[in-house]
Amino acid sequence: MIKTKSAAVSMLTLAILLSACGNNNNNSNAGASSPAAPASSQAAASPSAASGEKVELRMAWWGSDERHEKTQKAIELFESKNPGVTITPEYSGFDGYMDKLNTQIAAGNAPDLIQMGGNIKEYVDKNALLDLTPYVGSTIKLDDFNQGLVQSATFDGKLYGVTLGVNSTSLMYNKALFDKAGVPVPGKDWTYDDLKNVAIQMSEKLGKGNYALYDLSSDSGAFASYLGAYGKKLYDTDGERHFEKEDAVNWFKYWADLRAAGAVVPADVQVANPPTAADTTLVVKGQVAIQAGSASQLAGWQQLTQDTLGLLMFPSGPAGSGMVPPLSGQYITAYADTKHPEVVAKFIDFMVNDPEAGVILGNSRGVPPAGKIRDALAAQATPVDQAMYDYISLVADTAPPVNYVQFPVDNELLALMKLTTEKIGFNAKSVDAAVDEFMTEVDKLIAKSKAQ
Amino acid sequence: MQKYKTYLAGYLFLLPWLIGFLCLTLSPIGASFYLSFTNYDLLTTPKWVGLDNFRSMFTDDYRMIDSIKVTLQYVFLSVPFRLAFALGLAVLLNQGMKFLGFYRTIYYIPSLLGGSVAISVLWKQVFDQNGIFNDGLALLGIQGHNWIADPRFAIYSLIGLSVWQFGSVMIIFLAGLKQVPGELYEAATVDGAGAVRRFWRITMPLLTPVIFFNLTITLIQSFQTFTKAFIISKGTGGPINSTLLYSLYLYIKGFTFMEMGYASAMAWLLLVIIAIFTGLLFFSSRYWVYYSDGRD
Repeated sequence: MIKTKSAAVSMLTLAILLSACGNNNNNSNAGASSPAAPASSQAAASPSAASGEKVELRMAWWGSDERHEKTQKAIELFESKNPGVTITPEYSGFDGYMDKLNTQIAAGNAPDLIQMGGNIKEYVDKNALLDLTPYVGSTIKLDDFNQGLVQSATFDGKLYGVTLGVNSTSLMYNKALFDKAGVPVPGKDWTYDDLKNVAIQMSEKLGKGNYALYDLSSDSGAFASYLGAYGKKLYDTDGERHFEKEDAVNWFKYWADLRAAGAVVPADVQVANPPTAADTTLVVKGQVAIQAGSASQLAGWQQLTQDTLGLLMFPSGPAGSGMVPPLSGQYITAYADTKHPEVVAKFIDFMVNDPEAGVILGNSRGVPPAGKIRDALAAQATPVDQAMYDYISLVADTAPPVNYVQFPVDNELLALMKLTTEKIGFNAKSVDAAVDEFMTEVDKLIAKSKAQ
Repeated sequence: MQKYKTYLAGYLFLLPWLIGFLCLTLSPIGASFYLSFTNYDLLTTPKWVGLDNFRSMFTDDYRMIDSIKVTLQYVFLSVPFRLAFALGLAVLLNQGMKFLGFYRTIYYIPSLLGGSVAISVLWKQVFDQNGIFNDGLALLGIQGHNWIADPRFAIYSLIGLSVWQFGSVMIIFLAGLKQVPGELYEAATVDGAGAVRRFWRITMPLLTPVIFFNLTITLIQSFQTFTKAFIISKGTGGPINSTLLYSLYLYIKGFTFMEMGYASAMAWLLLVIIAIFTGLLFFSSRYWVYYSDGRD
């Protein structure tokens, strides 16, 4: 008898415990503000903000210190103009940013405001982002915007993000190294052969420990531009790859030759000093002349060095320039389950349209999309700002009118390109064998993206 | 009725632990078991795919092979070296020296710090091209190397870091050594046995249960190593997957590539792998572990 009783007691305890595991958050949320349907919640959320009730938001972005400081200042300004609203910043470098965000979204506690990159569509497809269409016109004003920028964040007629800045891929260079080598900085009309000649020439003159080029063979943007210059495409709207093994072999071979000539950073040095962050890149340290990067990084990185940094377009090929027209570098988006969509929308508008915020944020995310902000900034532009403006206009004038489509599982493509580069760079595989594996895996990635 | 109340009180006292166990351990385990049979990208509802994840692990995933190779290499080198190092130091510290407590603390410190992010960052600096290790080699006239950035050497710096965290193993060995009865040594000395013979004939046999314990624990820990590899390779497992320890690859699959179903399946495979190795250890123990209390 005692046994049955004790068993009954333990079952009961278990039952209570298991119910304690349940997610209490959902219940309290539903009670406090509004159920999931965003349309009906707008009315409920906005008066609560207006009546001075406390609204606590979180905002996530990636970037360099310069961007962190400016964004925090803009947040403070918004908070002082909107008493009762506090926005907690969650910022970091790009490494791990998406990992953390994925986890937060999966756990249902993602930040209310999320900075997104070119992979915005992946998150739209997975219903992670808020449809901003109901706020356009009333709260978020986009009249002043280039329609292409609005379109780039519009899917199925709904707007999911607002561009924070127009940006472009670029080759960032350290002018001091060109001067030291006595080689003139190339102009806008240069080819891959020119790049090779310049790199070899410079490396010979710069001597040991200094290099003309980072190894760009692992950079998917550089590869896409190369394919464009040779009349191919990395990826297109039809969801297929538009290049052959031969193209990839030519690309990796091009870099292997440069590596053999001592013109690019050796594989182990590149692993130890990746060009992806301002504090590790040897371009800022004055040991490497050229790397790939996004144009909006220029101002932030320039602060860290006495040398003059500048921007160059990727070389052209037989099919002309492979540059892509300037794109939205980053979007500000809202989490689909945010409790305060109205305040979030207000902040989004503030970031792109408020004149004071525009001056504070400057060009830290590329050229601002709103014409009036752009004019205000142009009036007080520093030489570095001007260099970026000039570069973006140059790309806009040069790039063929292609419809750029981001590779769907970009994270994995990057990892794969890095692996392929390392296999060749550390002499673990021949170019041909490494590219064979590369092509197999690229096709698997495309198959995966179609299955999603 | 009284009995009933006693039980209830007992469970009430256990409640905090039980809640923790059920919510934070048991239900995630159950969830991961379910997820291992699904295709789950973290953002949308999991889709049932049966054994597909397990199948592609063995047939269609070149990183998986690299990862298992690297992990086995790491485990089979770091475990014996760590145990040997810890045992050697424990024997030295057991010579009845002064300030034993002080030395014990000093040697234990790396274990306290070793699992932390800060130490991994430090380790990265030490074995960098311009790190202290190369400075030391330069004094000996040896040309240094970029140890952690070269696929041939990267895993050895991880193994080194693991061996360096010998402290807790050493403390347990020390306790084991203190248990060996002094009269056995006296008798052996009287019979003319030297220090080496005393070590192999008395210390080692009596220490086998402790060795067995340390071996099992260290083996399991080593299979699960994550932090070191994550920090030192900047979360990539590179160069060329040379530091792609199993747990790191699992993390990359789950959180970077958003294949949480696959990552869950990997976690269950790791459980099976660890169970096999631990089982082999237990099976072999009857041939080499000696229990002085008469059990064998």
